[in-house]
Amino acid sequence: MKNKQLILKLSSITKNYPGTRALDNVSFDLCAGEVHCLVGENGAGKSTLIKILSGAENPDTGEIILFSNSYSQLTTAQAIKMRIATIYQDVDLVESLTVADNIFLGSEICKQAMVVDRKEQEKKTIEIMDRLRIKINPTMLVSELSTADKQILQIVKAIFRDAEILIMDEPTSSLGFEETNALMDLIRNLVSQGKGIIYISHYLKEVTEIGDRITVLKDGRVVNSYEKTKVSMNQLIQDMVGRSADLFFFKEKTDIQDEVLSVKHFSQKPLVKDVSFSVRKGEIFGIGGMVGSGRTELVALLFGAEKKDSGELIYKNRVITPSSPSRAIRSQICLITEDRKVTGLFLDRPVIENIKVVDNEMHKFILNVKKENLSVFKIVNSLDIHLSNINQDIESLSGGNQQKCILGRWLSTNMDVFIFDEPTKGVDVGAKQEIYKIITELAKQGNVIIIISSDMPELISLSDRIGVMRHGEMVKIFDKDEVTEHVLIQEYLGYQEKTKVIK
Amino acid sequence: MNKTKESKTEVKALNTKMTLVNFLKNQWFLLLIVVILIAGFTGAKNERFYNKENLLNILDQISVLGLVAAGTTILIISGNFDISIGSIIGLSTCAMAILINNGFSEISAMVIGVLICIICSSLNGFLSVLFHTPSFIITLAMAGVYHGLALSITEGIIQTIYGKMEGISGARLFGILPYLFIVSLIGYLFVHFLLKYTQLGRRIFAIGDNARAAFLAGINVNLNKILFFAISGFLAGIAAVLLLSRLGAALPDTGAGLELRAIGAVVIGGVPITGGMGNVLGTFFGVLLMGVISNSLNMLRVNPYLQEVFYGLLIIMAVAISSVRYRWFGAK
Repeated sequence: MKNKQLILKLSSITKNYPGTRALDNVSFDLCAGEVHCLVGENGAGKSTLIKILSGAENPDTGEIILFSNSYSQLTTAQAIKMRIATIYQDVDLVESLTVADNIFLGSEICKQAMVVDRKEQEKKTIEIMDRLRIKINPTMLVSELSTADKQILQIVKAIFRDAEILIMDEPTSSLGFEETNALMDLIRNLVSQGKGIIYISHYLKEVTEIGDRITVLKDGRVVNSYEKTKVSMNQLIQDMVGRSADLFFFKEKTDIQDEVLSVKHFSQKPLVKDVSFSVRKGEIFGIGGMVGSGRTELVALLFGAEKKDSGELIYKNRVITPSSPSRAIRSQICLITEDRKVTGLFLDRPVIENIKVVDNEMHKFILNVKKENLSVFKIVNSLDIHLSNINQDIESLSGGNQQKCILGRWLSTNMDVFIFDEPTKGVDVGAKQEIYKIITELAKQGNVIIIISSDMPELISLSDRIGVMRHGEMVKIFDKDEVTEHVLIQEYLGYQEKTKVIK
Repeated sequence: MNKTKESKTEVKALNTKMTLVNFLKNQWFLLLIVVILIAGFTGAKNERFYNKENLLNILDQISVLGLVAAGTTILIISGNFDISIGSIIGLSTCAMAILINNGFSEISAMVIGVLICIICSSLNGFLSVLFHTPSFIITLAMAGVYHGLALSITEGIIQTIYGKMEGISGARLFGILPYLFIVSLIGYLFVHFLLKYTQLGRRIFAIGDNARAAFLAGINVNLNKILFFAISGFLAGIAAVLLLSRLGAALPDTGAGLELRAIGAVVIGGVPITGGMGNVLGTFFGVLLMGVISNSLNMLRVNPYLQEVFYGLLIIMAVAISSVRYRWFGAK
C-alpha cells in the first residue's frame, strides 16, 4: 500500500452462530485515505464483519488492530472512542430535532449551564458542512429531510465526532441517481481528507467506481481482494458464486401437474410492483433476489398479512384473494415467516401451545387436552423434534427445533399451499436437511410450495422454477435446468454481460 | 420401537415433578407463605385476628376485589388494561339503585346492571381496536366518561336502596361461608377454566405474548380483544351487584380505585405487566394478601392513613420477588 498508513487490520477473525460459521478466518485491512469495498451475496458475512467492527458482536477468535492498538474484541463504546462510525441504512437520527441539534446531540454547546447556544451550534454546523461542500439548512427538522440528506447528515455527524473510519452499509439502496452521485462526491472528498471508508453495496457499478480496493466475501470467507483497476464486474460475480457441489443436494423428482395457483398483478408500491406468476400442483417455486428486493413483502401480500394496492390470487379456478391471514388459512394457504422469533413463535408459551394455535382439538367448548397431547406427540415424533417435555417453553429449544415446531403447526392443519420465507434461517445443518426432506415430501403429496431463500444452493436445489425479484418486480422466471448461481446473481444485481466493464 | 419412544415421551410430558424447587417457582406458593407469616405475626400480637368472625370478614371484604381482579387477570395476560372499571362499577351500581327505586324488580335491575358493565367494557375494547390505540389510554379517557354519566344520572346524590338486595350479602352457606366469597370463588374458577381449558384461553395467552404471530396464525386479534373486555366487564358487573348489596347504597364514586387495586393484585400474583404469562391462582393469593394485610393493619391499630403506603410497598415487594425468582430459579 504505497505510502498509505494502515489504520485498521483484522486478522483471522472467526465468528460462529449456532449452526453456522458466519466468518471463517477472515482478514481485512483499511488504510487512511482509501475506500475499501466489501461485496458478497446475502449472508456472505458482510453484516457480521460490520457488527464486529462496531462492537455489536464479539468475534470468537482473531485480532483487531486499530491505529496500532490490538484488541481481541471491541465494545460499542470502544469503537466510538477509536473513531469508528457506522452509517446504517435505517437512519438513527432524532427526527424531531433540527439538523444542528442532531449533530451536537450529547455534546451541546452551552452558553451558561444548561442553556444551549443554538446560534453557535448552527454556525459550527455550517462550517463543517462547508468543509465537506454540503448544503443542508442547519435549522431544518430532520423529519423534513429527504432520505439522501439524512444519510449525508449521519456522515456529517460522524465527521464532527472525528471519525476516522466510516463504515457505510448499503448507503445508496434507497437513493436516486442524482443523490447517489452526490454521495459518491462526498465520499471522494472524505477520502481526500484522509478518512478510511469501508463501503458495502451490492451495486457493483458503484463499487467498481468508488472503491480503491474490493474484497469479495462468500460464505464467511474472503474469496479475493482486488485493486480497483485490476478487476471486472464479471470477475466479481464469478467470485461471489461458484460453490462446491456438495452444498447442493439432489431433490427427488416430484410429479408436477397442472397450474393451480395464479398470482396476478400484485402491487404495493413502491415495494412490490405488478408481480404475476403461477405455480403448478406439486411444484416448488423459488423466489430469489437481494434482501430488500420485495420478496418478503410480496408473500405478505399473498397471505393477506399486508394491505395491497392490487392483485388477484386464483386457486383451483376460484378467486380467493385473501384479505387477512385468517381468510388465507381458510383457503388452505399458510405462511412460514422469516423472523421466527418476532412473527412466528409465542416465546413464553409451551411447545404444545405453539403447535396447536391454528386450530385445537375440541370437545364442544372445551379443549380436549388428551387428544391434543397425543396429536402433538405425533408431530414431535414424526418431525423428530428434540425436547424433553411438550410443556416446556419453546424458547428453550434450538432454532432448528423451533422451526420444526412451526412446520408442525401447519402440517397438522390440512394446508394446500405452503409459503416459506427463509425456511432454514438460523437452523443447524442437520435440521436443514430434515426441513428439505419435509418440504420435498409436501411437494410429492401434491401441495403447492413457494420458497423464498437467500441461501443459493438451497434455492437452486429445492426449486423447480425460480422467479427473481429486483426492485419490487419479478424480472425473470428461470426453469430449473437453465439456472446456475452465476446467471441468478447476475439477474439479482441487474447486470448483463453485454454492458461491459467501466474503467 | 416407535411405540416405545412415543410412550416414553408421553411419560416425560406428564411427569411434572412436584419438588420443592418447582413449588418455589410458583408465585402463589410464595404469596401463601407471606400470608401465613403475616397472619402468624398479627395473631401473636392480637388474638382477635383468629376470631372466626374476623377471618370470615376478611373473605367478605375481598370478594368484590376478587371478581374485578379475576377479570383484570384476563386483560393483563392478553396485554390490555382497563382502568375505567372503577367508574363502570360506579355507573352500574347507581343505575341499579335508581332502577330499584323506580319499581324495577331486584332481578331485572341486577341483569341490567351487569349488562351495563359488559357494554361499557366492550365499548372500551372496541374503541381501542378502532383507533389502534393502547387500551390504557382509551380506558383512561372512558373512566371520565362513565364517571360523568353516573354523576349526571344521580345528580351527585346518594342512591339508597333501603335494604333491598340484602339477601345476597347477608347470607352464609351452612351459616359459615359468606355467599359473596362463594360468588367470587366461582369467578376465579370461571377464569381459571377459561385460561386453561378453552380455545379462548389459548388465544388470551397467544395474543398477549405475540399479537403479530397470533394474527399471522389466523387469529382474529381485534374481535378477541373486544371479547376479553366483555368478559372482564361481565365479572365487573357481578362485582357491582355484590358491592351494591353490601353497601345498600350507591354513589358515582362507589368502586373508585378498585381497578388499580385489581391491577396491583394481578401483578402481585405474578402476571408480568407485558402479558403473555400468568395464572389466576396467583391473583387469588394476591387479593388474599391484600385483604389480610388490610385487616392486620386494623388489628395492629396502624394509622389507617398509612394503609395506602403498605399497598404501595406490597406491589414493590411482589415485583422484587418476581425478579429474585427469575434470577435464582430461572422461573418466569
